[in-house]
Amino acid sequence: MKQLCHHLAFPWFGMDIGGTLVKLVYFEPKDITAEEEQEEVENLKSIRRYLTSNTAYGKTGIRDVHLELQDLTLCGRKGNLHFIRFPTHDLPAFLQMGRDKHFSSLHTTLCATGGGAYKFESDFRMMADLELHKLDELDCLIRGVLYLDSVMSSGPSECYYFENPADPDHCVQKPCTLENPYPLLLVNIGSGVSILAVYSEDNYKRVTGTSLGGGTFLGLCCLLTGCSTFEEALEMASQGESTRVDKLVRDIYGGDYERFGLPGWAVASSFGNMMSKEKRESVSKEDLARATLVTITNNIGSITRMCALNENIETVLFVGNFLRVNTLSMKLLAYAMDYWSKGQLKALFLRHEGYFGAVGALLELLHPS
Amino acid sequence: MLLLFCSIRCTVLLLKPSWKQHYSFPWFGMDIGGTLVKLVYFEPVDITAEEEQEEVENLKSIRRYLTSNVAYGKTGVRDVHLELRNLTMCGRTGNLHFIRFPTQAMPRFIQMGRDKNFSSLHTTLCATGGGAYKFENDFRMMADLELLKLDELDCLIRGLLFVDRVGFNGHPECYYFQNPSDTQSCVKKPCTLDNPFPMLLVNIGSGVSILAVYSENNYKRVTGTSLGGGTFLGLCCLLTGCETFEEALEMASKGDSTNVDKLVKDIYGGDYERFGLQGSAVASSFGHMMSKEKRDSISKEDLARATLVTITNNIGSIARMCAVNEKIERVVFVGNFLRINTVSTKLLAYAMDYWSKGQLRALFLEHEGYFGAVGALMELLKTTEDP
Repeated sequence: MKQLCHHLAFPWFGMDIGGTLVKLVYFEPKDITAEEEQEEVENLKSIRRYLTSNTAYGKTGIRDVHLELQDLTLCGRKGNLHFIRFPTHDLPAFLQMGRDKHFSSLHTTLCATGGGAYKFESDFRMMADLELHKLDELDCLIRGVLYLDSVMSSGPSECYYFENPADPDHCVQKPCTLENPYPLLLVNIGSGVSILAVYSEDNYKRVTGTSLGGGTFLGLCCLLTGCSTFEEALEMASQGESTRVDKLVRDIYGGDYERFGLPGWAVASSFGNMMSKEKRESVSKEDLARATLVTITNNIGSITRMCALNENIETVLFVGNFLRVNTLSMKLLAYAMDYWSKGQLKALFLRHEGYFGAVGALLELLHPS
Repeated sequence: MLLLFCSIRCTVLLLKPSWKQHYSFPWFGMDIGGTLVKLVYFEPVDITAEEEQEEVENLKSIRRYLTSNVAYGKTGVRDVHLELRNLTMCGRTGNLHFIRFPTQAMPRFIQMGRDKNFSSLHTTLCATGGGAYKFENDFRMMADLELLKLDELDCLIRGLLFVDRVGFNGHPECYYFQNPSDTQSCVKKPCTLDNPFPMLLVNIGSGVSILAVYSENNYKRVTGTSLGGGTFLGLCCLLTGCETFEEALEMASKGDSTNVDKLVKDIYGGDYERFGLQGSAVASSFGHMMSKEKRDSISKEDLARATLVTITNNIGSIARMCAVNEKIERVVFVGNFLRINTVSTKLLAYAMDYWSKGQLRALFLEHEGYFGAVGALMELLKTTEDP
């Protein structure tokens, strides 16, 4: 199998077309021989140069340089793995570019996963004369996660957790690996959420999902605060106070609801204070953004915990771009898993957050299953 | 003097073994929730001429005030359609009245209790809900009233089983929806909770509690969620400018949530077959709202609808997971989030049926959010319940 992929024509891409973002991984070979370079067709060279000499593409494309994996060996070739994203909304512009650069003449297979691989299949064909090799997003996700965790890299550990998540002054990120990871509960928080119970590389099931995901956070924030991007929403949330917006147990009980172990600071009713005109007028946009973040995050945490309990799994891995630059949510999830399970459950996170589907798609290209 | 006479009479009654113990009127049960106060009042209709003569003035005035009005102050409402007529409790026959007002108006209520010298009646005021704890001092300080505090979930179960047992003026208290998946032929059907155990009880108030009930005295709180009725109302007020639950529901009834939510088909172009997710299923609630173009194109009604659908489906999803975990097939939904809210009750009925492939059944009760208060009233009368 390895010999087969050695001769696979470049470029090597993996693509995950999600509900909000397109994630693209690109393998840039660094071991090109002089001979190979001479034979390299012009448009392939131009693609390689375009992708690796820029960190921004058009108005909305971004290469996450800090996530680049250098000196990676894939299929006997050595190179760098690049991680690029852009809004699914801008896919037409991407297709146009693929057409302009005569991507189809390169006769490579374009492995794509995510809902968009199905939704935009015709567009790829019509606009850029490209045939997509469609793959299931959850198959790719798992494959990508297991691969990236196993890669020996000189950089920081892929997997990490939070020590003392409840204590803001002593909360630290600590590295770990997914050795003997099974069984594992994998929670993928994208536009929406999927929760998988993974028993081995090839044996998993989708336990459930929830439609209250990253897309809900961003959509509600835009409506409530007038912000337009994920980064703005997070910035606002970091400055707000959700307890002004939410009705806590103590607001209803005057203290703890001891009988059932609910501390006074627990949220009894998210946004529950907002039915009062007076309170609506006294909260800031930042408070609303924070409340939205906390509500969505805690709901995901709560559902996750129920699944972990039901499936008898103690390790929970959170991935997906909702967690990108979102330490607030990660710490909340880490805390919630620990607190409500009385220390039984452990929350883990991965550096490449939302890129695993795309990595899995690339792996399918190189090592078809 | 009159008061002393009454006290003596009650004591005399206590000493007569052939008489049941008689708690003095008025008989109230109170549930002070996060948003609403629910009050049940037993109006005796078998008062003898003798009793009437002895009745103290403020007790008579309370009885008249409550039964001759359907609205109290600016925000108090008596749900006349829920009145249970000719009920027998503790050897007395009477009507059970159901009254509600916002918890925000509690100071005014306590003030009224003080003005009507309620404390002079020396009755026990059985109260449940968080407010029984939060406002305990206020009752004491402002109206010289001592609350008998009861747990809200104990009262909920007790009240629910009682009302189901006595029925709703000859009709069943409990109902479900037949053909919930079919909007055309979906019909409300009565039922009773014979052999009710085990049941999953989902109480949707400001927040949500989910209980697994194995018998009247054996239950556990499985979990809860903070995304409840208070979230629906709070978000609606923020997103649409509405101010009341009724307004929010009115708007929601006219909106289309699919303009606001990102569906599976918006992402996949159709169904996500591999995992049985239909194109019409919501993939990301409010997911379209990150786009300015879409924000500018939707209406307040659409937003209200999306809020209702999102909160309702989330509760349904969590309830379903609990039912599966606890291996219980019957899910009973109560709480004032469901008051006059057919959109949510039908959605819950549909969700339970659809996602469980017909294994789970959603049940509902007419007295929705009043069971805690009924349970509190029963605690008052518990040593004297009719066989």
